[in-house]
Order: sequence, then structure tokens, then C-alpha cells
Amino acid sequence: MRLDWFRLQHRFAPYVFVSPFLILFCAFGVWPIVKSMILSLYVTSGPKDQVYVGLANFRFLLTDADFHIAVWNTAIFAFWSVFVQLPLALALALLLSQRWLRGREWFRLAFFSPNLLGQVFVAVLFSVLFVPQYGLLNTVLHSVTAWFGRFAPWMPVVALDTKWLANPALVMPALVLTSLWMYVGFNMIYFLAALQAVDRDLYEAATVDGANAWQQFRAVTLPGIRPVAVFVLITSTIGSFQLFELPYIMLGNGPGPNKAGLTIVMYLYQTGFVSGDLGYASAVGWTLALGLLVVSLLQMRITGVLKRGSE
Amino acid sequence: MKLTIGWKIYRGAMYVTLLACAFVTLTPIVWLVAASIKGPDDLFHHMFFAPRATLDNFRDLFEIGNPTPTVHFLRCGVNSAFVACSAVLVQLFFSSLAGFALAKYDFRARKAIMVLMLATMLIPGQVVMAPMYELIYRIGLVDTYAGLIVPGAVSVFGIFLFRQSILQVPDELMHAARIDGCSEFRIYWDVIMPVSRPMIGAFCLISFMGAWNSFLWPQIILHNSERFTLPIALNQLVGLYQQQYGTLMAGTLISVLPVVIIFMLLQREFVAGLTAGAVKG
Amino acid sequence: MNRFPYGHAALSILTVAILTGGWLLAHPVSKSAATLTFWTFAKTHYDTYKEAVPSFEAAHPGVKVDVQLVSGTAVTSRLQAAFWADLDVPDLVEVEISSAGSFFRGPLKHVGFVDLTDRIHRSGLWDGMVQARFAPYTSRGRIFGLPHDVHPVMLAYRRDIFEKEGVNVEAIETWDDFIAVGRRLTRLTDPGRRYMIELPDAEASRLEMLLFQRGGGYFDPDGKCIFDNEIGIETMKWYVPLVVGPNRIGSDLGGGQIFTKAVEDGYILCMVAPDWRTKSFEMDIPRMSGKMALMPLPAVRRGERRTSTWGGTMIGITKHCAKPDLAWEFALHLYLDKKELAERFRGTNIIPALRAAWDQPAFREPRPYWSNQPLGSLYAALAPEVPFQYTSPFISTAKGKLSEALVASVQHYRNHGDTGFDAFVRRQMRQSADELRRLIGRNPF
Repeated sequence: MRLDWFRLQHRFAPYVFVSPFLILFCAFGVWPIVKSMILSLYVTSGPKDQVYVGLANFRFLLTDADFHIAVWNTAIFAFWSVFVQLPLALALALLLSQRWLRGREWFRLAFFSPNLLGQVFVAVLFSVLFVPQYGLLNTVLHSVTAWFGRFAPWMPVVALDTKWLANPALVMPALVLTSLWMYVGFNMIYFLAALQAVDRDLYEAATVDGANAWQQFRAVTLPGIRPVAVFVLITSTIGSFQLFELPYIMLGNGPGPNKAGLTIVMYLYQTGFVSGDLGYASAVGWTLALGLLVVSLLQMRITGVLKRGSE
Repeated sequence: MKLTIGWKIYRGAMYVTLLACAFVTLTPIVWLVAASIKGPDDLFHHMFFAPRATLDNFRDLFEIGNPTPTVHFLRCGVNSAFVACSAVLVQLFFSSLAGFALAKYDFRARKAIMVLMLATMLIPGQVVMAPMYELIYRIGLVDTYAGLIVPGAVSVFGIFLFRQSILQVPDELMHAARIDGCSEFRIYWDVIMPVSRPMIGAFCLISFMGAWNSFLWPQIILHNSERFTLPIALNQLVGLYQQQYGTLMAGTLISVLPVVIIFMLLQREFVAGLTAGAVKG
Repeated sequence: MNRFPYGHAALSILTVAILTGGWLLAHPVSKSAATLTFWTFAKTHYDTYKEAVPSFEAAHPGVKVDVQLVSGTAVTSRLQAAFWADLDVPDLVEVEISSAGSFFRGPLKHVGFVDLTDRIHRSGLWDGMVQARFAPYTSRGRIFGLPHDVHPVMLAYRRDIFEKEGVNVEAIETWDDFIAVGRRLTRLTDPGRRYMIELPDAEASRLEMLLFQRGGGYFDPDGKCIFDNEIGIETMKWYVPLVVGPNRIGSDLGGGQIFTKAVEDGYILCMVAPDWRTKSFEMDIPRMSGKMALMPLPAVRRGERRTSTWGGTMIGITKHCAKPDLAWEFALHLYLDKKELAERFRGTNIIPALRAAWDQPAFREPRPYWSNQPLGSLYAALAPEVPFQYTSPFISTAKGKLSEALVASVQHYRNHGDTGFDAFVRRQMRQSADELRRLIGRNPF
């Protein structure tokens, strides 16, 4: 009798262990995905009033000027974050991975620390740092550029009253700067871990072959960290495409001057939860998902992960 | 000889570069601390710390002496702690249990579940925001703590993390426990979980940070200002007291402090957990 | 530590969860003991309303009113979401004019506010208040809010500088007169040191105000988008050269401490000033006391309207409210009690929408800050002429579109001047308005 129960519970254990997860996962993971496909065929006013419109939401997306602005802004942000942030992160990681370096732990902690602050809190902090005339950033930039300007008169001096968050042209640089501050150290951690996992012997072999530093980097380091680099590239692209809190809070809970800080997710939030059109918001969400899928596949293609199979 | 001098200069330059980067990175944080203990007149007058430190900002923040506070900041802190910790515990339990099952048992639906999980991981969370809100509305959880915790109760990422680490636990441990007459749940509870301690630590920190800093979903779900979490409360504070930078900075400082403290305690495990997926995968 | 086998991270999180959970159980979210809860988003309103509550409570024994200050964005997004989800909402809410429209998007029966049309007509308020001010709170012919204010617009100017430069304000009757004076004063200093008037080139709040002055607007009474009509195009073509190009007389630095400095330095000489803004001047730029004065807005053509409107607030009763009659009485107490209104005017400089209140002595008092002008009478004299502004659920999108058209036109004028400007403005306005029309066309409710 005892043995029977024992065998029974052994047999059903995995199902029992998986089922709470599975139930929740179906309710809050799978069902909303299915539902959002259905919802994207409706125009709604809050959850109560819904009218079926077929594919009209997606057709409208094609001509919706605000959505196009949002896509453009988000793409620009993603471009800068990826192509400035990742090289910087890699450079920092290379610096930190030098074997003779002392205090590596402390540097790593310092570079990583901004990431401990959530986006909301960073946004509040930086919206004050960006204040014209008196803010820390303008004060420092102004005095530094003015000091350089004495030696190199051709260099532009940053005006004290530069309005980072009120000038449409400067909103994006401000956002990129902030996200640089936040995420360079975060991505550096990945690169650092990858660099430390590269086989030391390979470097020694390369040195014996007479390779210089750059050749070593090309021949040993880059191939060694490639899986991690691709991972970081894709996750940070996806992360930048989901940008919301930074601009939303820094620009006073809105898209900023001339919608210069309107992002796809902010547009989704505004249409779905401020204007109440959950259907259109779902359509925006699906477009974002498809776009991300395409971008990720492209990146994998370019970096050669797909070709080499499941290496 | 010449080489060593060049080497020294090179090293020196590297240290200078690193120190400069660290300086730039830490400056805003130092400024935040300084600003939160400066009076309004000193705030922009002194770049960093002012000779007179004051706790007035914190007093204003907690609205001490105000019988009808507009932003219940202390309460919001408790809300945040409760919501974040509960979310972590719930996630921890479900993820590790399912991760255990997926790692150590060969059962029929396993493949299908793994594929399904991978597929949903590709879809960004914002896609399901609208139907999720509709669902939460229909089951009556709008403006409740449960409405914040339940949708995030299962973390696919966490399941993969735990599956990965539990795979490395030798099967012999389980067999030995079975011979001793342990039920399968006892094996999970008494054998598997204790040896997964490092992964538990890393997971706790990662998911705590996620829950603590979460903004968009609470912003959609919460209505009563007494249920607000800190990010929502702080945003409310910005809207109400735009010019009182000192109070805002005090609020920001208080809000980030718990994460910083927990991180200091768990730094090593955190970095290990963060990079585990990437380096191995 | 050994007794807890899952590590100190899990242990501490468990402990915190239990402790905070226990605390939250012991301190449940307070159920308001008040008979009426009332949300307002403006600090100045909040302070004055708190003072008006005791007299209401005294007149209604057993009734308790709870006034709460919430942030402006909370009113718009949170309240709207609460309406959709049938959540606990306050009984009365003050809503800002530019977001009021967004509450009217769904079917009429699902608008979260109580339809006040009949009450307003029955109580004679339709004739007693400035009728133009009901328009922004009206959807499909039904009125959902009581107007708090009229917000007529004047121009605040640096009287001391005008006198020094020999400007006769009486002689400025039309915008042409104003621009002529402006060109002269703007040329007196080095370029970029002084501008005649504060006008922004990247956001449309002032442009919109000037559009209203000419009888234009975003929407017609049926909610159709009309900002690209002939009036809109004329206004845009007239406005852009004021803020960019060789003949500009307007500039804008931003708000807060910078604005204060710009006024004190004489960087800008005239500021568009609705009644509420005069209070901000008094509070934020105290040093200009006695050096400022007010004049009516210049007319577009001689003898035409010398004012416009900027900003506003309504009070609405939510359908959630269990005692709508009591809430209505409270709203009337706040907005109609003449004695309270006079007192409040001293505190806020805002003249109420109730015409009968304007003849009280408080409105005739000379104000030292404004060179002893009787501020209340000046605004009250203009109040009946305040133009209508009609709304739509798409009002905030419309504002964004007009701003975009402005930025594009400014850009074009900066690069090409007058060449092809007319055609560009027409095309741009048409395009922006069409984008809005397409959006409106999608709304099936």
C-alpha cells in the first residue's frame, strides 16, 4: 500500500510540480497573447465598449503619423544606444580585464552602480541634472567647454541655458546620454565575464606568433566573446525598443516638445491606457513584437550565429 | 629599461582613464546624496555639499506634521517592499518548482512546455499589456496588490535559470533521498533547493530589482494613492512639487536605498546569476 | 543561518514580506469617512477650497467633505481608467480644460460624469454664467461640468520701460499698432537682447489663444476639426514671422526661474496674461511690483474683440457619487457663493464664471503690483467677450497636431522666408488636420 502511493506520487510528481506554473502561465502568459490578437481587431473605449473593425487598426498604423514618429524616435534611440553603448562597454571591460589591474572589484562596482537605480529614479534625478542655467550638467559642460575654448577658439561653448528637455533637437541626445550612464556598466559586466572566460593559452600562442594587440583582439578576443556579444547586442536592442520610463518621466509624463521623446511603448500606453483604445494598443504591441523579431533575426544573421547552427 | 617606462606610462594612463570614468559615473549619485540634504537656497548655489546640512527635505517628504498627507510616502515604501518581496517569493516558488520538474523528470509534456515557453519569451511584455489589463479588470483585481503580483507570478526567465542550475545537481542525491523514503516534494524542498542556494540568491536580487523598479504596470493598475508603490509615488511627487527639487531628491534617494543595500549584500551571487545565462548559453 | 537552508537572500525577503504584510494588514487602506470626496489638481484651488469647506459643513450637519490634492496627470489618466474599471472614484473632481474632452470618448451613457445640462438650465446658471465657458465641457449637446472661471486674456507689460521709451499704450489698438511699436523697441538694443513679447516657437499655447481671438479654434460645435480653415491659416501665417526671421518681435526662454529673470532683465516686455497668470507674476517676480501693468489684447481689426482665453477648469460630479444632489450643492457652494468668490479672487486673481459676482468691491480694488490698476474690473470688462472654444475627445491630439504644424512652419520660414510660405502653411495645416480627421473617423462611439 505504502509502496503504491510512493510510486504514484513519483509518477505524477512532475505534472503536479508543473501544473501551478502551467495554469498561471496559460492564464497570464498564453491567453493574453491570444487575446491580444483578437483585441487588435477591435476599437475599444476602456474594457467595456468594444467594436469589431477587422484589420482597420493595422491599416491605420500604416498612415498614423504619430506612430511613425514613435517608430523613428525609438529606432534612433536604439541605434545610438547600441552603437555607442556597446563599444564603450566593451572598451571598459577590456580595460578592467587587464591582469595587472588592482581594485578591479571596486571599479566594477562603480561602473555597475547606476544600474541599481531604476529607470524611474534615474529619470527624476537626471531631469534635475538637465535643468538649464543652474543644473549640474550645464554648469560643468559650460565651464569645461569655456576653458577649452580659451585654447581652441573654434570649439563651441555649451550655453548655460541649453534647454535639454525643452528643445526638440536635444531631447534625444539627453535620453541617449542618460541611458549611456545607466547601462554601459551593466553591459560591461557581461563582456567582462566573457573576457575572463577566454582561454589564456590562446593569447600566449598569439604572442608567440608575433601578433600585435589589435591582431590579438581580432583573432582571439572577438571570436572568444562572440556568443556573449551577440546576446548583449540582441538584449540591449530589445531593451532600447521598449524604452518608456526615461522619456515619460523626464519629459513630464508626456512625449516632450514636438513629440521628440515619443517612443513606441509610450504611444502604446497613451493610446491604450490614456485614450482607452486597448485594441489599437494591441495592434501597436504586435507591430513592435514583429519588428523586434525581424531586427533580432537580422542581427543573428549578420553576426553569423544562424549560419553556424547551434554552436 | 625603456620598455618598463613605457609600460609604466601605459599603466598610469589606464588607471587615469578608469578613474575618470568612475568619477563621471559616480558624480550624479554623489550629487543626489548632496542635494537631498541641502536647503532650497543652497541647492544650486553649492555644486555639491553645502556647509549647512539639513533634514528638512525628508521632513517635507514624509509630510511630518501634515494631518492629511497628499503623497503617503512612508506607506508607499511599505507597499513597495511588500509587493516586491511577495512577487519575489511567489516567483521563486513557482519557477524553481517548475524548473526542477523540467530538469529532473522525463515526462510527456516536457518538450511541448519548453517550446511554448521559448515562444512566449520572444514576445515583448507590452504586447499583452492591454489584454492583461482587461483580464485583471474582469477578475476584479484592478487596484489591488494581487493585481500587481499575480500577472508576474511565473517568470519564464526564472524557470530557465533554475532548470539550468538544477540540471547540474547529480542524480545520485535524488536517488539516495528516494531510498530514504523521501516524497518527491520533500526531495525538491530538502535536497534540491538547499543546494541551489547561490541561484536562489541571484534570482532573488534580479527579480527584486525588477519588481521594485517596475513602473508601467503599477501605473496602469493602481488608483488609490494609499496603494501606490514608490515609483508611482515619486512620479506623483514630481507632478505636485515640480520646483521642490530637494524633496524630490530625498524621495529618490530613499527609493533607491533598499536596492543598493541588498545589492551590497549579494553582489557576488548577483554577477554570477546575471552572466550565467549568457556565458553558458 | 544554518537553520534556514535557502540562503540569507531568501530569508530576508521572506522576513520583509511577512513584516510588511502584517503592517499592511494592520493598516488597511483608509475607507474615507467623508460624505463627499473631492479631487483638485491645483495647489491654489486646494488652499482656498479647504477654507470654504467649514461653512458648507456647518450648513449641512452630519456632512463631511474631504478635499484632496492630486497631480494633474492623475486626474486625467487615473480617473479615466477608474471610470472604465468601475473603481472607487471621488464624488467630485476638478478637471483641466484641455483634458476634459478626453472623458467624452465612449458612448454618452458611459461618460463617467453626471450630465448636468438640466440642472444648469433649471437653476438659471445657463444665463447667469458666461455661456462661452460651458462649451469646453459639452459633448453631443450635453454639459458635464460647471466652469470654474472665464480666464480672459490681457497683455502684461513692463510699464516702466514703456514709459521710458515713450510708448503710449492707449494708442495701441490693433496688432498692427502693437507690432510697429514692437519692431521699434526690439531694434533699440543689440539683437537678441530684447523682445517685445513672449511668444514660443515650439508649442502652440499662445498661437491657440490668438486663434480663439479671431474666432477660430480646433473644433466646431459638432466636434469636427476646423483648425486648418481660413482663420487658422491666416493666424499661422501671421504668427510665424513674429517668432522667427528678420522681423521677429517675440521670443520665449521657458518657465520657472528663467522666466523670472527674463522679465526682470527686460528681455521680454509683454507677456500674454490671463487672470490666473497675474497671480504667478505676483508670486514669482515680486521685484517687478509697481513696474507692471495690464492692457487689453490688441484687436485684429479696429473695433473687434480685445481679449481671448487661455486655460480653465471645470468641476464635475462622477456617476459613482451616491449623493449627487448634495454634491451639486457643494459645487454651487464653491462656485457661486458670492462672498467666498470675492475672498477667493483676492487669493487667486481669478474672476469667476458667475457674472453676478463681479460687481463686488473686491474686484474694484486697485492693485499696487499692477501700478494700482483695478485688476478685477479690467478682466471682468473683457469677460463677456471671451470666445467659445469647443472640445472633442481628441482635444489633446489636436493640440499636438497644431504644435507640429507650428514647428514645421517655423522651420520653413527660417529656411525660406516668405518664398512659398503661403502654400507651405496651407499644405502643412491641411496635412496635420487631415491626420486628426482620420483619427476622429476611427472612433465608432
